[in-house]
Amino acid sequence: MNAKERMEAAINMKPVDKVPNAPFAEAPVCHYFGSTFKDSLLEGPEMLAAHMKSLEEFKFDWVMLGMGLIGGIIPEALDCQVKYPEDVFPIIEKTSVFSMADVAHIAKNNMFTQRMENFLDGVRLLKQELKGEVPIACEYISPFTIATRLRGTNEIMNDIYESPELVHGLQEAIVPLDIAVGKALIEAGVDYIFYGADMECPVLLSPKHYKAFVHEPTSLVCNELSRLGSKVLPHMCGDIVKTGIVDYLLEMDIHGIMPGNLTQEKVLDIRVLKEKVGDRICIFDNINPNGPLLIGKPEAVAKETLAHLNRAKGMSGYIFSTAGTSSPYTPKENYLAMDKEVINFQWN
Amino acid sequence: MAISDILNAVVELDRIAVVENVKTAIIDGVPFDDILNKGLIASMDVVGERFSNGDIFVPEMLQAAKAMQAGLEVLKPHLTCDVLTQKGTVIIGTVKGDLHDIGKNLVSMMVEGAGFNVVDLGVDVDIEKFVSLTQTHNADVVCLSALLTTTMPTMAKIVEAFKESGLKAKIIIGGAPVTDAYARQIGADGFSDNAPGAVELIRRLIAA
Repeated sequence: MNAKERMEAAINMKPVDKVPNAPFAEAPVCHYFGSTFKDSLLEGPEMLAAHMKSLEEFKFDWVMLGMGLIGGIIPEALDCQVKYPEDVFPIIEKTSVFSMADVAHIAKNNMFTQRMENFLDGVRLLKQELKGEVPIACEYISPFTIATRLRGTNEIMNDIYESPELVHGLQEAIVPLDIAVGKALIEAGVDYIFYGADMECPVLLSPKHYKAFVHEPTSLVCNELSRLGSKVLPHMCGDIVKTGIVDYLLEMDIHGIMPGNLTQEKVLDIRVLKEKVGDRICIFDNINPNGPLLIGKPEAVAKETLAHLNRAKGMSGYIFSTAGTSSPYTPKENYLAMDKEVINFQWN
Repeated sequence: MAISDILNAVVELDRIAVVENVKTAIIDGVPFDDILNKGLIASMDVVGERFSNGDIFVPEMLQAAKAMQAGLEVLKPHLTCDVLTQKGTVIIGTVKGDLHDIGKNLVSMMVEGAGFNVVDLGVDVDIEKFVSLTQTHNADVVCLSALLTTTMPTMAKIVEAFKESGLKAKIIIGGAPVTDAYARQIGADGFSDNAPGAVELIRRLIAA
């Protein structure tokens, strides 16, 4: 099996020849192999160069992109003031929504800025070079999470009680823009939309408010991107099983779930998630990107990786991954140790 | 009017009732310290516990803190300065290069709600500012927050800078990617993965 066949088999609950190896590796990849971190996140040719070098050395089963898109390009296209440092992720310096009047303005924005086009060029270049053998995944964000970028997280969380019409109105304005960007990504060559539901996770928002504020706009975007041909894979932190959020996710046209850990020491057991979702969708594993991988030695990384793989052994629809973005400063020897364990693991 | 009415109004996120209940308690001659400690501060302990148990979430925490603050504003003119600072001074900020503030704000509100004097330095705070303002305010505890894995290393630099400056303030760290192991690795005095836990940790450190 090549990488694309392996990933597709896992997503479709079919047998695989070995464990699909798909960590959130964009930041380390850009740091290890990029001309500069910033350019490798954002600029077509530099994205291509960094990820091709990475595939040669790590042999991942996907290319994962998008931190520059969700952290910088999308908020900037929606009038936020964004700083693009050379060696860290983009930083939103000033939000753009202060009242309902701003919401009306946001709705008219053109998402396809020069930075967006440069990013899409990177996707196209990768698609061409990968020849369909390695799938491309792109991080993405929900209307609610975009709303927190534009308005400020505290403000949106307060608005839920004090100005609920703004929360609804802002997401209503964002939905078509979110879909337009998703469509462009799919047309450029993205196979998997990794749908980050960062700010509505059940660590931050109650299931009651999830249903009242998030479920409808999220469903609109996920279902449309799925209809357009992408595999949609929500990524959410917290105990999505106990809180019942997983039931809302399963109402949508999704193909997998990647449970994250907002608080890194409280990790959802993927066996519990598997019991809930059965063979309906695939599950990405959630090894802690800020544990031994970031601050430990290669031996500890290998041990933790092996523990995850052994726990998942025999599970249909299993894909190895990290529980969210890995730090660019993850020691390369640690990433190599994790990679080696996954590649050599006797799955069958 | 019972003190528990103030507490319950905060827990129920009813800002108007909190203000009215505090006003009534003052008129009724309830000792100011009781209104503060057994009413307002105790209410945030209940709120913190409910948050830790997953019974309430961030919007409710924010609303409860606002309700508590509204009550405190009514009470403040009746309190001596000592009452507000005697528990200790805590400095808090999100480290340089990081503009995320939700976790930092939750901790700030909970710590203030627990009766500590809080100096909130905001976000994107450089090392020198943490050092100089800790000296200026003679702070007992400094809370460092980071959401980005790219800004976590700054926490280690701040711990180092405090050592070099001879500052005795305890440093605690938190934020989504931060772990207890990381706190130990960089020599911080503690770690909490949630706001109520940070309050407990600060109480322990100051009492020690």
